[in-house]
Amino acid sequence: MSSNLIVAIYLIPTLIGFLIVSPWGNIITSSLKERFPSLTTLRGQLLGGLQLISLAGFAVSTQTLWISSKISEGGTFCSTSETFDCDDLLGNSELNVDPIFGLSWGLIGMAVFALLLFIVFVLQQERNHPLAERLINIGLLTTGAGILVIGLLVSYEIQEQKICMYCTTAHIANIAALVGFFRLKKVFDNKSEWNNEA
Amino acid sequence: MELNIIEDEYAGTVGSALIKVVSLFFIGIMIIAFTANPISVGTNQGQRAPDVEGKFYNGSGWSEFDFESYFNYSWQEGDISGQWVAIEFMDTDCPYCVKSAEEYGEYSDYFNVNNPNWDGAHVNFLASATELSIQGHDSSRDEIEAFRDKTGGEDCAGADCSSRPGAVHNFPYIDDLDQDNMAEWGIPGTPNYFLIQPDGIIAWSSSENTNEEISDAILRLVPRAGA
Repeated sequence: MSSNLIVAIYLIPTLIGFLIVSPWGNIITSSLKERFPSLTTLRGQLLGGLQLISLAGFAVSTQTLWISSKISEGGTFCSTSETFDCDDLLGNSELNVDPIFGLSWGLIGMAVFALLLFIVFVLQQERNHPLAERLINIGLLTTGAGILVIGLLVSYEIQEQKICMYCTTAHIANIAALVGFFRLKKVFDNKSEWNNEA
Repeated sequence: MELNIIEDEYAGTVGSALIKVVSLFFIGIMIIAFTANPISVGTNQGQRAPDVEGKFYNGSGWSEFDFESYFNYSWQEGDISGQWVAIEFMDTDCPYCVKSAEEYGEYSDYFNVNNPNWDGAHVNFLASATELSIQGHDSSRDEIEAFRDKTGGEDCAGADCSSRPGAVHNFPYIDDLDQDNMAEWGIPGTPNYFLIQPDGIIAWSSSENTNEEISDAILRLVPRAGA
């Protein structure tokens, strides 16, 4: 299977999730409300979108860690002579780990999206959990800090003059999750909207 | 006896979410563990050799060195067609490096497919020339050229470079005067030797085999036609 086709498997749900958490999410979810009653409220819509984004982000982070591991064995995965070449970035032992602890960016992505997924699961089950506000703030802070990491990784891409589509998909997922948590916090601050039942 | 039971009606929510997420995380890690066998980059035997960067001199001029071009990552153990790499980290002002220059040059001529007496895989010899931070070790590209080509006018460890033992070397010398490669490879001193498989994995290092010469390591590790 073409490596670009595999990217689409992660990118499409990420973009759908992004649209759901965006202000135009209602247009996307209107036809799905009968099948998924949780989407009738803005809270449910945002949590549904965030769940999709976090799952896609987790999966694409797992894939990048796998690609890094395979390249270290000596294999190639998406090596091309063109700009879209993830091997040169994911296979670069200096650039594919964080500069402080030396942890793989893929592993860090897995941990971050797993944390976001945990927050979403808790809020979906119990919207008035005592930790709800703190969890939303953690989600907002984590994805906000992710923007700095994205800046660093994009600088690597500019330096190497290559674009890693798998990494870009994970970056889009982080930005989409930031938008989702930002809107979720606004809904949480408006108690009547937060407690609105389907 | 009175028992104080603490009840947390929300514990189940956190617990079940945690179980789901942790399960997902471990499934991801297990998929990677079962389908990939990552090799770390480092200078120990069995690790993937770090990059060697800089300009190199091959007798005609200085140009950009491409270490990766020496490797074939799909090489299989025992394949005699794969080319091995022997690399020496040296300093043109280090007396031990000057002393070993004769033998290292002879090895490069011997473990060569053009030598009818050698029936093993070709070994590419390289030298990464640095300038150690020791008084009296003042090197330059001119000195590296003089050391390799045995030309006069430059001082190599207290004597004219043209008087160093051995013949002119035919292998490339990489400029590591800024010690970047030394630092990347964690080289404690010179000379330091590594033998690298055709797939870029370090097969032997002089620091891990202090009682074995690089020539003996080549004879022991590099596949031969008659073996």
